Amino acid sequence: MAGWSGNVLDIDLNSQTFTTYPLDREMARQFIGGRGLGARLLWDMVGPEVDPLSPANVLIFTNGPLTATGYQTSNRFSVTTKSPLTGTVLDANSGGFWGMQFKKAGYDVMIVRGRAEKPIWIEIKNDEITFHDASELWGLRVFALTEKLGQNNNRRNVLCIGPAGENLSRLASIMNDRERALARGGPGAVMGSKNLKAIVVEGKDRPKIEDPERFKFLLYETRKLLAASPLTSQALPEFGTVVLMNIMNNIGALATRNHQQTQFEGAEAISGEELTEKYLVRNASCWACPIGCTRISKTGKVEGEGPEFETTWALGAQCGIDDLPAIIEANALCNDLGMDTISVGSTIACAMELSEKGYLDSDLRFGRADQLASVIEAMAYRKDIGADLADGSLRLATKYGHPELSMTAKGMEMPAYDPRGLQGQGLLYATSNRGGCHMRGNMIGLEVLGLPKLIDRFQVQGKSSFVILNQNSSAAIDSLVICKFTNMGVADEYFARVLSAVTGIQYATGEMIKVGERVWNLERLYNNREGFTSKDDTLPPRLLTEAPGDGPSQGWVSHLEPMLKEYYRTRGWDQNGVPTKQKLTELGLVNLLN
Amino acid sequence: MVDPRIYEMFRDIGRDLFTSNMISSHGGNLSIRLGDRVVIKRRGAMLGQLKPHDLIETRLDRNDSGVALASTELLVHRTVYLNTPALAICHCHPRTAIAFSLSRDELVPIDNEASYLLKKIPVVTEEFASGTLQMANKVAEALRNYKIIMLRGHGSFATGQTLDEAFHWSSTLEESCQIELAAKLINEPFIEYRGMSGSYSKF
Repeated sequence: MAGWSGNVLDIDLNSQTFTTYPLDREMARQFIGGRGLGARLLWDMVGPEVDPLSPANVLIFTNGPLTATGYQTSNRFSVTTKSPLTGTVLDANSGGFWGMQFKKAGYDVMIVRGRAEKPIWIEIKNDEITFHDASELWGLRVFALTEKLGQNNNRRNVLCIGPAGENLSRLASIMNDRERALARGGPGAVMGSKNLKAIVVEGKDRPKIEDPERFKFLLYETRKLLAASPLTSQALPEFGTVVLMNIMNNIGALATRNHQQTQFEGAEAISGEELTEKYLVRNASCWACPIGCTRISKTGKVEGEGPEFETTWALGAQCGIDDLPAIIEANALCNDLGMDTISVGSTIACAMELSEKGYLDSDLRFGRADQLASVIEAMAYRKDIGADLADGSLRLATKYGHPELSMTAKGMEMPAYDPRGLQGQGLLYATSNRGGCHMRGNMIGLEVLGLPKLIDRFQVQGKSSFVILNQNSSAAIDSLVICKFTNMGVADEYFARVLSAVTGIQYATGEMIKVGERVWNLERLYNNREGFTSKDDTLPPRLLTEAPGDGPSQGWVSHLEPMLKEYYRTRGWDQNGVPTKQKLTELGLVNLLN
Repeated sequence: MVDPRIYEMFRDIGRDLFTSNMISSHGGNLSIRLGDRVVIKRRGAMLGQLKPHDLIETRLDRNDSGVALASTELLVHRTVYLNTPALAICHCHPRTAIAFSLSRDELVPIDNEASYLLKKIPVVTEEFASGTLQMANKVAEALRNYKIIMLRGHGSFATGQTLDEAFHWSSTLEESCQIELAAKLINEPFIEYRGMSGSYSKF
């Protein structure tokens, strides 16, 4: 099997044993890898009766046929599980080096089942799998643990959880390579519930490439295109993802103070320009990435990766905070504790609004940068007010009688882009299978950046077609697995050709996108099986009823209802948002219903 | 009723197609896919002077009354939408590209812009090169692998997420062909300036 390693590693933590067996080739052809393969395997393994934090839930680590080939950004990998935050299917993916090393260890998939009696960590060196006692490591934070376990970027890579995962915070991430995160939806809590502290990988086998000559040509052309795109050759390397701060603020689509406003007066102070000018030490890159969007930034207290745009927004504008050093330090703290910065920031913002309105008895207030570090610590350890915040804003706001103040979709905190100024983005959040997420077919390319061409961000009619195409494309890219930033300079047609060159299986562009559609529908089926319905395809009431009083999005709310109707029809789903038998037959999924 | 924002898009691209000599007065057509619907130019309407009533909305999967008003090329547009991820189609008659299509099975650009963007444009042949099922199938098949193709002696079909994008590929193709024609007229030895250009024909 060119591209794929062809092997599954199946680990049972109850008995601390493992088996290996061949990857199902037909399944690999249909779902490729990464997110797609993870969703397909999860469908069989974890049903609606399973509590996400019980031993019956699984962690499915996957890479894809492009991983470790050396194609640009072919460093990424995924984890799939049932989310303890949302109860939906969850996949989270991450860059860095671990995914490349995992592939070189000779596996496409690693399934982790059960629960260890005591804390353990696992060491993988190709076919040599060792279970180690982690009793003395339990309680260690991510940076110290990563160093202790011998992180070496090109040879030995560490994936682990921090205290937040140990304490089963539903906002806990799994960290890899020190500061990379499988962040969203609480996979760190699932790993913590299994008493699994870390997985360390060393690999030695590069994947086989079926058509090296064609691959070399596509590698060359991709390099040219990434160099030609100002986004991938200038904006991201120079300012990182935070380049978006001023852009989003200028168009009135930067959610501010728990989405009470759509512009932040302090945006300039937390912008990419400010970060680069005052706090940037140097750029860094994931393995095989020529873009290098990673920031190494430094304040008087910390030096490390980040912060990304979403982090800077969540801990900044969303909390009304314009203190960039405090945000950089809060980001480092979240990484060290192993927490999802988007959900952490937006949950704190929700608590700030609850407090300011008198619904929650706390001194949390918008703009109080001095409160960030202590409340994040409290969340990771479930101490004091942190115990209420540790499981996200929806549980918090519901407990205090105002669920409408949780800025979530399906229970996951939404990122920075305010749907009132970006109609397509609102539909995207509402229909995302893992909840409010911008990585499931980001519409910012079309509605803001003009990728591939600019469309009207306030247009409602016809928006569903764009959203669906981007959701499907995104699911395909997440299954290859490569970084979506590559897509800012390189079109899907190249990815289909690279996939064909690597695997020897000819995928036309449309066929690759069709894999994405298959994945999307399977995820939807999974959520429907868990009890999610069309009622869950919605946004917080604030975004549907409260129009900004000023700024470029003045007077606009999200016109979700007509877009959603069009979306279901275009998806080939019934009016209740359930995929029709005809659609499932077309996608080869109908047998799953038997 | 089609959203005025969508009409403006058709009007602007249609006007540009005409003023850039990519179509004759009544030639070419544009369409977009809106889920299970297609919005396409009215039969006989002039792309350079589109009015709101010149846009016809009809079903994607089967005929309805809209078919009586829609462009004669509706069939090929539908077939392309059903077989590719395209959300927009631009069909036009770029003169230089048509001239080259009369003697070549593929157009491989020599200029920088088209080399980056297009790599290779296949030329397909169909005796009944307008409005037929055979033509529709051949065009759709070629567009599964390429974002723009030439129908020999007839014109180009380009796809994209937006009309803007499909027009971009169309105008890039014609520009590239005009550059090659000019280079032929100059008739001096070509100095290769690109890397791995020998692989373009395998794209």
